[in-house]
Amino acid sequence: METNNFSIETENLNLWYDDFQALMDVSVKIPDGKITGLIGPSGCGKTTLLRCFNRVNERYGNVTTKGEIKILGKNIYDSDVSLLELRKTVGMVFQRPNPLPISVYDNILFGLRIHSPFRSLTRTQSDEIVEDALSSVFLWDDLKDKLKTRATSLQLEQQQKLCIARLLPLKPQIILMDEPCSALDAEGTLAVEELMSVLAGKYTFLIVTHNMAQARRISDECIYMFLGELIEHRETQALFETPEHPKTADYVQMRYG
Amino acid sequence: MKRSEPIFHIIALFILGIVFFLIWNFTGLTTDAVGANTEDRAVQDTLDIIYEHLYQLMPICFVIILLSLAVAFFLEEWLPHKSWYYRIIERKIAILASIPSLIYGLLGIYLLVVPADQVSYYPLIITVTLLVMPYSVQSTQKAIQGVDISVREAVYALGASRWQVITGHVFPYALPMISGGILTAISRVLATAALIIVFCVWKIPVPNSTSPFGIPGIVVVLLSSALLLSVLSSLVPKNMNINRIV
Repeated sequence: METNNFSIETENLNLWYDDFQALMDVSVKIPDGKITGLIGPSGCGKTTLLRCFNRVNERYGNVTTKGEIKILGKNIYDSDVSLLELRKTVGMVFQRPNPLPISVYDNILFGLRIHSPFRSLTRTQSDEIVEDALSSVFLWDDLKDKLKTRATSLQLEQQQKLCIARLLPLKPQIILMDEPCSALDAEGTLAVEELMSVLAGKYTFLIVTHNMAQARRISDECIYMFLGELIEHRETQALFETPEHPKTADYVQMRYG
Repeated sequence: MKRSEPIFHIIALFILGIVFFLIWNFTGLTTDAVGANTEDRAVQDTLDIIYEHLYQLMPICFVIILLSLAVAFFLEEWLPHKSWYYRIIERKIAILASIPSLIYGLLGIYLLVVPADQVSYYPLIITVTLLVMPYSVQSTQKAIQGVDISVREAVYALGASRWQVITGHVFPYALPMISGGILTAISRVLATAALIIVFCVWKIPVPNSTSPFGIPGIVVVLLSSALLLSVLSSLVPKNMNINRIV
């Protein structure tokens, strides 16, 4: 992958919750088709930064943003950007698996249904889409007989995979993940990580994690943030083995918190 | 539980109401076929009173349901939660809910009935609506807040518009609690009204009525419809277990 292909670029991004500044002059370039990890202590603005990229932050009303965020070369704060299209391109997976309390089948089609005209999908089309989405997260074999069960009654690991599968029919370019494995056990974590490494290349992943072993295992590049500032952004191995900044060194070598 | 069930519940109630209405009309209970027997006549009049009150109750319930849905959804989904005006409105609703119902009644009489110099139906609608609204708005708000926030976020993040989130997601899941809450609010107000009648106007005769039951009849009607509504509201499943994820 060429290094001059960036799916997300930010330029002096500042963000305030009321008068608390949560992000300070963050300029970052996230490469295309790779897994980028965001690490840092709690409250350092990782999740806030992540939520900026599909403008979910705006719903809280007390948020002020300054600076530029370009996604696939387009500034997302331009007035001609459709929020719906943006959220279609940039999918998000949350900390707790949150499938909708409807059937597995409807969960997968939910996103597509809200983006397409009423009843425009035929039965065969939607069957195909569901099968595709579930097979690309390796759930098809487990769930092909259980498409009608409620998604919330699945195992947690399956629920989280389903949450990823639910994004795929929308053909997103970027998938944001906010600590996707913190509610899962070791096996579930491993399964989701494997899935990510298989899907990387097709999609750009941006993952917030508190688990440094995980960041080291799966990410290609890593960003260390501290109190709203971006301290260091390098390739994962370099960041963990030869950190440039003393604060990064403190954190990755566990001398900090 | 499937999410379409509460809707069927309500449709069933409507059908029941229509059947009730038809039976009432076609069994001759409200026709003028009054026998010479005074007992028949008394039963007839009481039934008429019941019919009249239920009939008056329906548009009121309709107005209350529509208004409280509109107000509660506006507060919860449109206004930013941390803004000062949201907090002010929420506090004012709580204060309104704590005002004794008698005050509403007096206000209704002195602001709406006395200036117009005639007793009509509209002051009744306005007063009762004002009386019920704070309770029903509060319970509807609680119902909306009860919808799992993480799932709502997921729906937003998938790119749904606010309208799609409300109609496709929040409303269906909050519906059982909303209908239960509004029914409870209405039945509470009816019971209060019955109480006021018992204490204040027990001795006043009802004009143009030969019913020996008179005011006590109205009280019984109000209390029994209150009871009926509260029984109905307890039948509606209030805690749909959506939040079973962790």
